Parts: sequence; structure tokens; C-alpha cells
Amino acid sequence: MGTMIAIILAGVFTNNFITVKTYGICPFLGVSKKTSSAAGMGIAVTIVMVLATLVTYPVYRYVMVPLKFDFLEIIFFIFIIASLVQMLEMIIRKLSPALYNSMGIYLPLITTNCAVLGVTELVIGDMSQFLAGASMNVGWAVLYSLFAGLGFTLIMILMSGMRERLNYYKTPKALAGFPTAMVTASLICMAFMVFTYIQL
Amino acid sequence: MFNLLEITSDTWTTVGIVAAIFAGSALLIAILILVVGKVFKVNVDEKITKILENLAGANCGGCGCSGCSGFAAKLASGDASLGDCHVTSPEKKEEIAKLLGVEITHEERTVAVVKCHGGAENCGENFEYKGNPTCAACNSLLGGNKMCTFGCLGCGDCKVVCPEKAIEVTDKLAEVDPDKCISCGACINTCPKHIIERIPASAPVYVACSSPCRAKEVMSVCKVGCIGCGKCARTCPHGAITMKDNLPVFDYTKCTGCLKCVEACPRNIILKRGVATIESDAPAVQQQENA
Repeated sequence: MGTMIAIILAGVFTNNFITVKTYGICPFLGVSKKTSSAAGMGIAVTIVMVLATLVTYPVYRYVMVPLKFDFLEIIFFIFIIASLVQMLEMIIRKLSPALYNSMGIYLPLITTNCAVLGVTELVIGDMSQFLAGASMNVGWAVLYSLFAGLGFTLIMILMSGMRERLNYYKTPKALAGFPTAMVTASLICMAFMVFTYIQL
Repeated sequence: MFNLLEITSDTWTTVGIVAAIFAGSALLIAILILVVGKVFKVNVDEKITKILENLAGANCGGCGCSGCSGFAAKLASGDASLGDCHVTSPEKKEEIAKLLGVEITHEERTVAVVKCHGGAENCGENFEYKGNPTCAACNSLLGGNKMCTFGCLGCGDCKVVCPEKAIEVTDKLAEVDPDKCISCGACINTCPKHIIERIPASAPVYVACSSPCRAKEVMSVCKVGCIGCGKCARTCPHGAITMKDNLPVFDYTKCTGCLKCVEACPRNIILKRGVATIESDAPAVQQQENA
């Protein structure tokens, strides 16, 4: 139970992907103009993160490590994630056109997203600080990636909400638009910095 | 345990093995994608691409779809009618009707009108607004600074979104040029007050007020607003006017353009539309007669 809470808190707050680890900054700044699209992007990233971990962790643990070619992890993971997203897109398109219309446009963008590659790399690395003595397995890896994705979605929605509201205010011409978004982003990151000092 | 790197000490052999691993897994994944692609194949209708070619391609969103491609898909599946598109030319629409195998019904050209006549001299301001000069921002602040809740804010959000530059804002009141208007609906969707509406291009009159308030409330905020007295409805010899929510509603199929309502209106808020407009719509009227 303690391990589970530690992993959940780590994914959403203390090791938040955007604010603390600064992964996935491109969708964070690029797709956060409207709350609806930000939420769509966040959910799409979460789903791909979970699926990617579900595939790459067993492949790494039970194929790459025993056969001693684990030094190829990055290139192999990119390989797996890209093809996985491709297949996921085809399957969603066939099974649920409504879901494809709302989420499908984000899927190709995620193929090379650093947040997705980041989570698969993190779970095979040293996670001992969150695990509290328990040993790493597929379950913990998937749990971590799920809550890392939800943390990502949380920040996306926060950011887009602020940017939507900021449209209503008169900003100096030099600061209008993207510069304001950068300032907003840094303020969100500073606010989340406080969680870094929580010892799990 | 089998160890790839221990069975060889030669660098090039290692490179070869790594290349072989990649080639092997690439082949595996390629086959997998191929199989998934075959199993989950989506048949894209050729009709949709052909319809899309014939649509105007304005991507204005006036039909309520995300763009012309979305509208084409809806047309093909029969969920939308051609009349929903106000941009595509009649010739192209006929092409599409042939593709769909349906009879084309000639619909009259429509134009957007701003149903408010309370410019700065007619309708006062509650406070001085110095914020961002957009209607959306102004409206978010206590519903705007116009004394009338249903009045045009005059910040020109509709002017910005209009693809045909048909909207002019003069004296805090937006006005649509009916000759330029393509009835795409961009302004209708943008207006935070929802006071822009479509009317037939040949409509001889329209009521330039959207306030459902009663006479006393309207008179206290606006010099010209409709007070809902119903005189126009009683005067109209053709029964084309009915009163709803303290506003006259026109049935343009019955209206003959006798302009009796314009004369009767004590507030002069039923406006006669320009002669030039009706002339330019002559072909549209003819089409309707043919059909």
C-alpha cells in the first residue's frame, strides 16, 4: 500500500513529467491554447504511456536483458513505441470512429514524444526511492506510467485554463501570446517545485 | 545463458549481429503492422473524396462540421443536406447532388443580419470599458458595458472572423454588407450576444432588435428598441408577422414587401432593406421559382 501511494504521488506531484522532469514540453506549449484539445492530448499521452510501458518493460526485462543487448534500449524503445502507436491508430479508427475523431489527430504527434520514451526509460532505471524495498515488476511500472500520464494531463489542463483566461486581458504587445505562455509555464513549474522536497 | 557479446570479440561481427537483430525485429513489426492494417482496414468511401473536390473548400465551419472534409463525410452518409452549405456554388452543388443521387432543392441565398440598432447614440453605456477591445472580453465583464443586455457591443469580434470582410463597425454597431455576405455563419457563432441571424437575402424587412424585455425595460435603456407592442402583427395584411417573446417574428414566405409594418412601427425598428440587395438576388429568386 505504501509503495502504491508513493508511486502515485511521485507520478502526479513530486516527479511530475512537465514541471519537474521537463519532459513533453512541446505539447505543453503547443497544444495548450484550448482546454478541450489539451485534455484530449493529455488523455492520448496517458493511454500511449501505459500501453508503451506494458510492452517495453516485459520486452526489456525478459528478452533484452537475458540476451544481453540491453544497451540498445533507446533505439529499440523508439522502434516499439512508433509501431505501437501506428497500430493503435489503425485499431481505434476501425473500432471507434468517434474516439478517432476526437483523439486520432494527437496520436501521430505522440509517436516521438519524449514523455512517452521518458517513462519507458525511467521504469527500467533505478526506481528504488519510490519502491520502499519492494522489487520492480510490470504492475508497478504500469502504475507509475499511468499516474505520470495523469500528472501530465493535470498540468496540460491547468496551463490551458490559464491561457484561455489570459486571452481576455490586455497584455503589452511584446508579451502577448507565446511570451505570456512561457511566463505562465515558469510560474506553474515554480508552484510544483514545492513537491520536490517531499521525501517519499 | 546465451550471450551475444561473448561469443564474438570482433567489432564488425558485433555490428553485424546488432544489424541482424534490428533487421529481424523490423521485419517482425512490419508483418505485425501489415496484419493489423489488414484486420482493421477502414474502407474510405471514394464518394467522399469526390464530394470534397466539389465543395468550396472554405473550411468556414458554417455547416456545423469541423471542416469541408467532415461535411463531405456527413453528406455521403446522409446525415447532412446540401442546403447546410452556404458557400458552394449552385453548379458545384448540382455535381454533388449527381454523385449522391439526390434531387437538388434550390434554396434561396441567405445573409446574416445584426439584429440590433442601438448604436452609441441610441443606447447608452453603464460604465466606461477600457479592457481588451474584443466583444468576448467585454461580455465577460458584467455582460458588457451596453445598457441593453441584448445590444451589440460594437467591439467587432464578428468583423475579425468574417472571411469576406463583409462586416463594418460604425458607431459601436456592427453591420453586415449583404452583397458580400456568404452566410458562412462565422459571425453567428462568434457573437457573444447571439444577436446575428440568417434571413433570406430577398427579405424586404427585418426587425433590428433582439431584446425580449417588456416595453418599460426596453425604453429605459434604448431609444429605438422593440417594445413588443404587436402593432406590426396587427397591421400586416398578409399575416406574416407573429409575436414571440415581445419580438415580431417574420414569415418571409408570406411577406410581400408592402412595408405597412415599417410605417406602423412606433419605434421605427422594423427596417427596410436596401434596394440594391434585392436586385442582386434576382437570380436566387428565379431559382426558387424554377424549382
